[in-house]
Amino acid sequence: MTVTFVALWLFAIVLGSTAVVALIWAIGSGQFRNINQGAKVIFDEDEPIGETTDSFPIENKTTWSN
Amino acid sequence: MVELNNQTETNADDTRDPVDVQLNAERVAEIDASCRQVVLLWYASAVFWLLTGSILALIASIKMHLPGFLADAEWLTFGRVRPAHLNTMIYGWASMSGIGTALWLLSRLTKQRLVWREALYLVGLYWNALVAVGTIAILAGHGTSVEWLEFPWWSSIPIAVGFFVINAVTFKMLATRRVEHLYISLWYLFGATIWFPFLYLGGTLLIHFGFAQGMAKMTANWWFAHNVLGLWLTPIGLASAYYLIPKVIGRPIHSYYLSILGFWTLAIFYNWAGTHHLIGGPVPAWVVTVGVVGSMMMFVPVITVAINHHLTMVGHFKKLKFSPTLRFTVFGAMSYTAVSVQGSLTALRTVNETTHFTHYTIAHSHLGVYAFFTMVAFGAMYYILPRLVEREWISSKLILTHFWCTAIGMTIYWVGLTWAGIEQGLMMNNPDIPFLDIVQRMVPYLFSRSIAGILMTIGHFAFAILVWKMLRREGQWLTGPTLFRRGEKISAEMEGAVE
Repeated sequence: MTVTFVALWLFAIVLGSTAVVALIWAIGSGQFRNINQGAKVIFDEDEPIGETTDSFPIENKTTWSN
Repeated sequence: MVELNNQTETNADDTRDPVDVQLNAERVAEIDASCRQVVLLWYASAVFWLLTGSILALIASIKMHLPGFLADAEWLTFGRVRPAHLNTMIYGWASMSGIGTALWLLSRLTKQRLVWREALYLVGLYWNALVAVGTIAILAGHGTSVEWLEFPWWSSIPIAVGFFVINAVTFKMLATRRVEHLYISLWYLFGATIWFPFLYLGGTLLIHFGFAQGMAKMTANWWFAHNVLGLWLTPIGLASAYYLIPKVIGRPIHSYYLSILGFWTLAIFYNWAGTHHLIGGPVPAWVVTVGVVGSMMMFVPVITVAINHHLTMVGHFKKLKFSPTLRFTVFGAMSYTAVSVQGSLTALRTVNETTHFTHYTIAHSHLGVYAFFTMVAFGAMYYILPRLVEREWISSKLILTHFWCTAIGMTIYWVGLTWAGIEQGLMMNNPDIPFLDIVQRMVPYLFSRSIAGILMTIGHFAFAILVWKMLRREGQWLTGPTLFRRGEKISAEMEGAVE
């Protein structure tokens, strides 16, 4: 019983500290500089802001003929 | 309609350089193409397990109100079918579709081709074999009776190898990424693929090799099981929603600050929450209290995600009508808020006193894994598959069937069982009510669950047909690699071609 609890808490603490390490890395490496620009990285010239990129297919009777 | 088409072609405000557009489209198409075989394998397998899991679920559900149903087949007794359903859904459907989506998102967001494709393909086959063997073992009566880890150890522990390959791929792609900034979805994916393999290995070793016994085993069990949702399915689902909602409507996330805050608070609080499953159990009170506190702290990431997704969508709700991806993803994202708020409240001892060990919990877990994760996974597959196969979905009607069957089915499921659970809990807390009265009182609700299950299964078969036709490349060609039928799409909207 004790062994399990110790193991579980150790696990929780180790995983928790990886989050802290990652956070420190992120701050140090400038991930949070110009933070609002980050939101735009998923858009590019091909699929710019303001353009929808998904729609229902059009029901087309000739789908299989060509 | 024609006018509008011309307008898009000769849009005077469009200052984009056509060469840049072409180059970008080609680069993205190349990245998508690198994912093709691997992601298609993981996705197709996921859909197979979805169908298998649905049928197992239906059998289990019908048995609850028709105990004689298939009662002669020992392979299909409730105690075997139910865990077989759970494990095929978690390790077959949810994990495999989640990994498919994660691999595609990783490639797109780090702007590079998918790495180690042969290895990932083999791992896909290996994973399928283990889930198949594990499911058959459960049906044959070799389940472990430890919820969420019912596969016997010789099937369960080797799956960890698969998780660690995904873990290594993530590290590799992080190291060789071609972008400086890590988009919020990447953080969630790293969270899932870097933490969960260790949780999985830790959980399976503790439980299968007898390090944990008695209540300690249950503690390990619920700590692990809650983390399957919290640190594996949730971050993958949110990564997908954080990419697809802004991408589909063409508008950046409302508040990037909030999204970052949401990730870090989830990272720090979620892995503490699992012990709230043991409220009222014979464990030290502080173990449970830590879980309750962790659950309450989850309000922070949940509220940030809810505000963010809602404010990103504001003014664009009309687009739900035109985009299958958006419909499923937004349904899932809204359910994430609902399930998390419900979960935090359920973790309070006063609420738990009534709802624990009732149908309420079953409704809650389906709200999480189905209404949230599964719907988001459907949304992602509707977006990703056409880009991998370069064909269009064959039928809007089938997509609509899929959506309405699953959405209505899930709603009936949740309302029926939540109500049933509250009633059941109140009745069970009253010692004057004979137990059999409670059992009989539940029958109509259980019947509604089977109806809901049938609806969802119909939806899944509609989806399976769509995916099958997609894999057979029977849809129309997409006109360009990722230049996704720009003109026609708008005309479709104007015509109201949908519904």
